[in-house]
Amino acid sequence: MTNPATPGALDRRALARRLTQALEASAHQSLASFGKARHGYTPRIGITGAPGAGKSTLIDQLALRRIERYDPVTGRMAVLAIDPSSPLSRGSILGDRIRMAKVAGDPRFYIRSVPSRRSQDGLCDNVADLLLVLEGYRFDEILLETVGVGQAEYAVRNQVDTVVLIIPPNAGDTVQAMKAGIVEIADIIVINKSDLPEADKTRLELSAIVERHRYYAADWQPMVLMVSALGGTGIDALHDAIDAHQTWVRRTKSADQVRRERARHHVESLLERSLRTHISNAEADLFEQSMSDAFQTLAKRLAADANQANNG
Amino acid sequence: MSLQGKRFLIAKPGLDGHDVGAKVIALALRDAGADVIYTGLRKSPDYIAQVAVDEDVDVLGLSILSGSHIALVEQTLACLAALNAQDIKIMVGGIIPPEDREPLRALGVVGVFTDENTLDDMIQTIDRVLAQ
Repeated sequence: MTNPATPGALDRRALARRLTQALEASAHQSLASFGKARHGYTPRIGITGAPGAGKSTLIDQLALRRIERYDPVTGRMAVLAIDPSSPLSRGSILGDRIRMAKVAGDPRFYIRSVPSRRSQDGLCDNVADLLLVLEGYRFDEILLETVGVGQAEYAVRNQVDTVVLIIPPNAGDTVQAMKAGIVEIADIIVINKSDLPEADKTRLELSAIVERHRYYAADWQPMVLMVSALGGTGIDALHDAIDAHQTWVRRTKSADQVRRERARHHVESLLERSLRTHISNAEADLFEQSMSDAFQTLAKRLAADANQANNG
Repeated sequence: MSLQGKRFLIAKPGLDGHDVGAKVIALALRDAGADVIYTGLRKSPDYIAQVAVDEDVDVLGLSILSGSHIALVEQTLACLAALNAQDIKIMVGGIIPPEDREPLRALGVVGVFTDENTLDDMIQTIDRVLAQ
């Protein structure tokens, strides 16, 4: 893949089209386009949380605050916002942009809405490819908004450096239930709608959970912050916390290490996609054989893919 | 018939503040398999054109109830042309008097839908237009 970006000018049309291609690509096509590409080191920040927690509204405020870190002329940020696809019709309503009114018309930001398609892990099909395309266009930072998630959809961990988990103030018992789940992978936990009366109780509960994680976390201690995305309070503290986490990531991992990790998860997703395709295309009687025979047949088909990808 | 894999932007240009119709259309398109982005109310033609480009949509659907459909379509087309995106198909829905439908088509609008159309009609027409 040649680098499509020239410094300064952003060809939004070309970028938008490349993202559509990447979104629709089979594993084969992805390998043909990106097979030899090198992963970047662009900061990636994931924003996740339950439906209605306030992810899009928070991104609106946060993006506007974070763009100030970058060059006033050439600085630019990308927002990749994922919404769920209907399991019935496969269609989707992509409405995150409506809540991003502050940045939606600002040329320093590129917002792209994508449907989750077959993915059920809070992300979308081919998300690693989409992030790689965005990196090729030299954004200073990429924000990734997940689908509204429950307790265990934490695939976002593998796609970004910093995970921000947003929790609404009335989460109550849900917070208890989340003890072994998404709360454990968050670098920063944000209690949004902090003006509501239950917010402080939720903060105390979460702080207690985070305290317990200190046994496991080597270095980084997850932070619990109070924010009102709609009212615009607590945004500076969140901005600083993200900077602190980014600094920590870049202190503890070399650029090559970050690239290696990104490449690893990308290869993993390509293999999964390829395998999934072979399984859905498999002849019906493949699964009448013994499981070990079926396994071997599918593994051979995967190996044939690999040869084709390397020669193609 | 399916609109799977097709991307639509449903937009409300101008000052009318009623989007029940736009939302009904968005849901009908979703149920036909399309990915549908909605802009929200009272957006300018240049904003709408930029979103259509950024989101790489196949179809831009303008919902207009204010009576200024001709002017708004002209402005939106000019904005799309300025972004080199004339290939994005434009459709219009809302309160469109019969005598204005041909002029809209002459401007390049490939579908005009009013309360005379059922949702099924509309989806079939869109499917046909996209297949061309």
